[in-house]
Amino acid sequence: MTELIKTPRAGETLPVTAGKRTNPLANVFDELVRFAQSRSLFMLHYCTGCGAIELPPAMTSRFDMERLGIQPMVSPRQADILLVTGYVSVKTLKRVILTYEQMGSPKYVIGICSCTVNGGMYWQSYATAKKLNDYMPVDIYIAGCMPRPEAVIAGLRELMENIRQGKADSWKDYYRHYDHYLGHQQRLFGETWQTPTDVISEARHYGLFGPDTLGTHTALLEQHQKPLEALEMKVDIPELTARR
Amino acid sequence: MTKDLSTWLDTLLSELQGIEVRRKSSRRIRVDVQPDALPALLELLRGRASYVHLSAISCVDWIEENEFELVYHVWSYEIGSLVSAHTRIARNPGVYISVYDIYTPAAFFERDIHEMFGVFFEGSPDMSKFILTEWDGPPPMRKDFDSEAWVNAHFDFQDYQPDWLTEIEAKGGGVAVRPDEQRFSRRDVDAS
Repeated sequence: MTELIKTPRAGETLPVTAGKRTNPLANVFDELVRFAQSRSLFMLHYCTGCGAIELPPAMTSRFDMERLGIQPMVSPRQADILLVTGYVSVKTLKRVILTYEQMGSPKYVIGICSCTVNGGMYWQSYATAKKLNDYMPVDIYIAGCMPRPEAVIAGLRELMENIRQGKADSWKDYYRHYDHYLGHQQRLFGETWQTPTDVISEARHYGLFGPDTLGTHTALLEQHQKPLEALEMKVDIPELTARR
Repeated sequence: MTKDLSTWLDTLLSELQGIEVRRKSSRRIRVDVQPDALPALLELLRGRASYVHLSAISCVDWIEENEFELVYHVWSYEIGSLVSAHTRIARNPGVYISVYDIYTPAAFFERDIHEMFGVFFEGSPDMSKFILTEWDGPPPMRKDFDSEAWVNAHFDFQDYQPDWLTEIEAKGGGVAVRPDEQRFSRRDVDAS
């Protein structure tokens, strides 16, 4: 018999009860899983700025990222790492957030180049977002304009090490402090900003629903949120309908 | 042959009234023209002098003179030379006539200038947003748009005061000009 887990309402926190792990091999198994995770990272093929030009040499023969178990992946649903390479314009940032929310957990964000840290040489540009970690949790920053492939690989190795030690859990931050991130997004994109991903339900699903998940900004989101509708399926080919 | 053609062009342009022609080099001519005569000049250059390629229309904001300068760059493949026709229009209300009927590619340049500078081109096929589709501020390339103030009002900057830096500074080293004293200071925002 399974017990129904009580879903917390807004402003209410669920007492965290650490489950007793009776299996003596559990920790060993966890370590093995983490080791395996750190050695098979799929890197999303989505590059925003000029720093992306350092990735082809990092991936191909000379520096060969695949020997570390990192390979590019075209769809966000299968990817683990989101590389944000270089400047993120306000227009791109919307797409980056949509992509990030589509990725399955655990997911890691790496900010490459100075622009993701502090705007870089576009510090005065009206179109470039300055701090990437205002809008999504960033695991590792690789500074430089641009960082060389060695630096990119060094950063990725550091991420691998963090995953192996279980320290790379900033993706949980997005669920725990969703109101904070959403607030920054709303400040930039306006009050009517909405993504098709239901982050709050996901937070409940992962058991990461915290006191900061909901707040003033999510209340604002609820006011403006349009319910998502499935796309209408319509086939309008005369030859096909005639054959039926 | 090319030389003959360009001499012929010089004679032609020198006969026109109310325009100022300056030959910058063997392949570049600068023409300053009144705004009401510019379409006629372009018509002439395209129809009679083989300047069939409109490379670009650029806009310069002369805020002190309260004027916009529009520069039409037209290229001739036969003569192999570039004519840039400069004209100045009033900054307020910033309305000018489209040259879409003479050069079709002008539609894109005019749409771009409309969005970046706010100049409206009468008779242009489409004046809707082009690149800045999600931008609702003032035209950002105008001189009176203060980009830095806009940035300070809309974004935060990273605090760059890590612990290891204070340790180095205690020993007399570190950053010569602190970030909050540098160019992107938030002084202006805090004062207002």
